[in-house]
Amino acid sequence: MTQKQRKLVRLTACAALLCSVVPTAGAMHIMEGFLPPLMCILWGVIALPFLLAGYFSLKKAVARDRRAVTLIAMAGAFIFVISSLKIPSATGSCSHMTGTGLGAILFGPSAVSILGVIVLLFQAILLAHGGLTTLGANTFSMAVAGPFVSFGIYRLCLRCKVNKKVSVFLAAALGDLVTYCVTSVQLAVAYPSATGGVTGSLLEFLGVFAPTQLPLAVLEGVLTVMIMMALEAYAQPELRAVGFEEVGA
Amino acid sequence: MANGHIHGAHSIDRLAYESGMRTWNPVFKTVLAVGTLVLCLAADRPMVSTAVILVLAALQRGKGKLPLRDYLGLMLVPLTFLLLGGVAVACDIALTPVCDWNLRLPWFYLCVSAESIRFAVELVLKALGAVSAMYLLALTTTACELVDVLRRAHLPSLLCELMYLIYRFVFVLLDMYGRMRQAAGARLGWKDFRTSCRSFGGIAGNLFVLSLRRSRVYADAMAARGYDGDLRFLEEEKPVRAAQIIWTGLFWTALLVLAIC
Repeated sequence: MTQKQRKLVRLTACAALLCSVVPTAGAMHIMEGFLPPLMCILWGVIALPFLLAGYFSLKKAVARDRRAVTLIAMAGAFIFVISSLKIPSATGSCSHMTGTGLGAILFGPSAVSILGVIVLLFQAILLAHGGLTTLGANTFSMAVAGPFVSFGIYRLCLRCKVNKKVSVFLAAALGDLVTYCVTSVQLAVAYPSATGGVTGSLLEFLGVFAPTQLPLAVLEGVLTVMIMMALEAYAQPELRAVGFEEVGA
Repeated sequence: MANGHIHGAHSIDRLAYESGMRTWNPVFKTVLAVGTLVLCLAADRPMVSTAVILVLAALQRGKGKLPLRDYLGLMLVPLTFLLLGGVAVACDIALTPVCDWNLRLPWFYLCVSAESIRFAVELVLKALGAVSAMYLLALTTTACELVDVLRRAHLPSLLCELMYLIYRFVFVLLDMYGRMRQAAGARLGWKDFRTSCRSFGGIAGNLFVLSLRRSRVYADAMAARGYDGDLRFLEEEKPVRAAQIIWTGLFWTALLVLAIC
């Protein structure tokens, strides 16, 4: 490398560092009061059928076995804790996983939707991430769209005989990306830009959140693979207990 | 422990238990907070938002005995989202310079107009007003009481039960996580990025296994105490006082007047 090239690399590295230093605390939860009332109701109604489906499936599971309640509650608490933990990042900035990919792979997407809405409510009142009126919109992006896409990708990859680690990585990372895109769409629909309309505004929101969310999606994928490796190594009975079956094996 | 989020979950919970407004009726507080929230969002006026922010801050300080520094610190939590979202709302991308200020970039212009900046500032104010209304609930009412309010609003009992249990288990798991994190730290588990990733994966996996094992223990313990699908707690009587209703009425009327003029 010449002197000039080295300088260029250093400069871009500094820029990248600056971008990731921004604390991402709750960056993808749409904050309380940020959406107009109409949008809040709209997204709540869109999320409702998924929640009902999740509720009925939970109810069936509990009716079959009363003791499943604590198991399901533990799963919800696990999703809450996983999504509020500070994860290792190269720059020491504060970021965390969404946990949706992991939850969907372990517990199935319909259970995650109803647990997700409870977790989001607690995140709003215990961590001040997200909010009460934006609960519907956040539920749709984090507890419905993300998990369903993750689960779909995971199943598809296993069916196509893709390497297990790769499929877990893809499911978690793409699930995270979908969450981020859906949130941007929600914001863009609520606040279309004056000249570009919804598309222009969508590009802006995607661009503004990209520096924090893109590395985070990759990191989420890597960490989910790590967790799944740890689980497969010494938690086979527990995995079977939550209904996780190895489709590929 | 130097972990912002874990600290966060504990701190809001602790502040709710310590609040001077904990003796107020939880249903009344919910109505007050949600009503103010809806008014603030529906009015969509900077004056109303400012009034909500100031009055609720004064209420938290005066009646809730909440240290102002804690309150301000909590108001900063959503700041990142607000700044990024505000920038995205204020700026506009166009192929031609159409606004008051234009920044030329390779293929397009980044434009900002006085109008859009005003809109973004109003939006940020409105969001802060809504956040303070949410904090009125979160910082004065314990999660158990909130679930109780939801139960009275006829949320299915299965969901209420799940919420009680999840609330309890969250703190159980956070305790477990704290100990594992410390143990990993003692073995230099966070010395660099690669090791941190491995430690984190191991901890999260371990947490999963332990949490499932614990859930079985809890199920046994609850069954041994005659659990039949309904968790009942002793509730404190917290009557609503006439003065509280009058002040709430006055506050909402003032907001309505501000919204209309």
